[in-house]
Amino acid sequence: MSEEKPATEEATVRLTIDGLEIEAQPGQMLLQAALDNGVEIPHYCYHPKLSIDGSCRMCQVKVEGGRKLAISCNEPVRDGMVVDTKCDEVKHARQGVMELLLVNHPLDCPICDQAGECFLQDYSHGYGRDHARTTAPRRKGVKRAPIGEHVVFDQERCILCRRCVRFTQEITETDELRVFGIGDHSHIGTMPDAPLNNDYSVNVADICPVGALLSSDFHHKRRVWFLEDTPSVCPSCSKGCNVNVGVFKNEIQRMVPRRNDDVNDTWMCDHGRLRYAFTSDETRVRQALVRNDAGDFTETPFRIALEAAADLIRPSLENPEAFAVIASPHLTNEESFLLADLCNHKIPAGHVTLPVIRGDADGFLIQEEKAANATGTRAMGIEERGDGLRGLAEAIRVGTVKSLLVMGGDALSVPEGEGLLDVLGDLESLILITPNQTPISEHASVLIPGATFAEKDGSFTNGEGRVQWISRALNLPEGVETEGETLSRIKAFLDNAKPEPFDAITTLGKVAESVPEYAHINRAELGADGLLSGIQEAPEPEPEPTEVTASGEA
Amino acid sequence: MATKVVTIDRDQYSKAAGPFGIKAFISGFRVTTSHFLGNLIGWIRGKPTVATVMFPEEHLAKPPAFRGMPVLVEMENGKERCVACGLCEWACPVNCIHIEPGETTDEVERYPQVFDIDMSRCMYCGLCEEACPEEAIVMSDRVEISAFTRAGTLWNKSDLLTPVAQVARRLEHIRRDYDRR
Repeated sequence: MSEEKPATEEATVRLTIDGLEIEAQPGQMLLQAALDNGVEIPHYCYHPKLSIDGSCRMCQVKVEGGRKLAISCNEPVRDGMVVDTKCDEVKHARQGVMELLLVNHPLDCPICDQAGECFLQDYSHGYGRDHARTTAPRRKGVKRAPIGEHVVFDQERCILCRRCVRFTQEITETDELRVFGIGDHSHIGTMPDAPLNNDYSVNVADICPVGALLSSDFHHKRRVWFLEDTPSVCPSCSKGCNVNVGVFKNEIQRMVPRRNDDVNDTWMCDHGRLRYAFTSDETRVRQALVRNDAGDFTETPFRIALEAAADLIRPSLENPEAFAVIASPHLTNEESFLLADLCNHKIPAGHVTLPVIRGDADGFLIQEEKAANATGTRAMGIEERGDGLRGLAEAIRVGTVKSLLVMGGDALSVPEGEGLLDVLGDLESLILITPNQTPISEHASVLIPGATFAEKDGSFTNGEGRVQWISRALNLPEGVETEGETLSRIKAFLDNAKPEPFDAITTLGKVAESVPEYAHINRAELGADGLLSGIQEAPEPEPEPTEVTASGEA
Repeated sequence: MATKVVTIDRDQYSKAAGPFGIKAFISGFRVTTSHFLGNLIGWIRGKPTVATVMFPEEHLAKPPAFRGMPVLVEMENGKERCVACGLCEWACPVNCIHIEPGETTDEVERYPQVFDIDMSRCMYCGLCEEACPEEAIVMSDRVEISAFTRAGTLWNKSDLLTPVAQVARRLEHIRRDYDRR
């Protein structure tokens, strides 16, 4: 292939596709160059993050001067190349490919989860026949076989593009999937003792161009055309994988990775993907609760509860040393900024802690910090004061801390927070702002419902300092507001001022003014892919395991 | 645009109706009278042959092109044909259909756990029937769907299931109508 590179060392090559003159990088494949420039070439086996296979033959195009049709996924661009993707010869070839692919396809689109986002469906509109010419019965295969813990396999639908096989070989390097049999008897499968159980297994359902590999979590759950996709960021670890949140009737139905070459390419881990039930399960706090004189929780309008919370915080204005804050790494940058303003400037609290749940990292996507915004929360000025959670528990026990503001329930899930629950009863006032129920609420004086990542606008800063925007996908229950609104109103009550409505975009502007690392950041600049802030906590670059190689020709 | 003046000879209508409109009166009453006499003579003979039926107790057979409320076709084995593909839900212009898919161990692995039609919203357009790839939802000849409560207008799967024999004529009609093979 090297001899086909242009002789001159220019940065780009110019070629013509269907009369459209485009520029491409030398060494780039024709298919990718066409897709980058908005020319649609149908393809199944090509995936930008996997090696080139060339098995589906769907992307054939006519290159001027070529002896026969070339597969554009494995055809490097050359200067002055003239390509035709729409001529009759190409169309005829694609029709032949489609007919052969559909010879044994069960055509059970009405019961197939892929329907609506299926390549086979899409291309059969352009290149398929309206009826079959074969009379032999269609081949039978295993259907809805659980090929792994989270993946369902339907052999009849498979078109043997081998994307999934290459995924397990190149991305996860676990080699669970492979092609068994030869010729007409080829099929995808696993070894009996090695099911598809790796941390990234559901990605094969995303890359499967047909409905052969499906996520068992989403299996027969909802038709994809009913889902509203909202671009967001996975909240489960500090990698900050970009996701699309699929919502139907105000409930998350699934999360799928969104391509971001700087963060997660097109992948995400199963743990993050399948962890969304907390946004709508029975542990959600949907009503503000205030303890009455008898010590029982009473349902209270949101505004009244905020006023009660402000009244409990007010004595701490004179005695800030007796006030403590447990911050949350699940808050957005903007909310953490408001919280930092409250606990650093308004009331210089004696104790501030930020409990971050830690787990195993795997060197690919899964990170050690199991929260989306620990880095951003620290950058906003939430700094550990007063010897962590152990110091806080001790201070509560001896009585130096009398009033506590808790965001979220993570404090009990970290090892340092073990003895915390026992001493919380000693507090004079405990204000808890949390989206999900936690044992802390047994001792709370005021319980204010919060919002999960799916219910607010804002930005997260991932472990490497990249600021990424999340958008509201779900509506909050009636009368409930996000933590940003809550904090800004509590602050207004403390000031006896009119509350400013919280707006994530303007607050991000204030962040840019006060935090030097964020000076260049605003909503428009963030775009869909996010932007690196000045923080470089973990600058080690990820080894790129998904390099597209051009060696698929062999 | 030039205006075209049309002169209407109103006299021709009054002439056609005869003096004092007697001709129109007679021709109008001829229909009523023939139905009345047909009913009367039929009643005396014991076999009425004409249009009037004792409505709530008796029904006229409706032509197959008639679009009454949509129903689910029940197969001989007592199960629905529907596979919960959701196309009718998507096609419905008034969003009156709600489906919750489920999984079974039958040959066809997917079935509707919940299939609700809000009949107070349904406008009998028949788009659900046209969208259905399984001939599982068809417009029946049922029209008596009024209820005293809002909840009564919500028809669930067991209410909607109708044996295939009852909708056979309609199924034949839509196959012809939509040119299905």
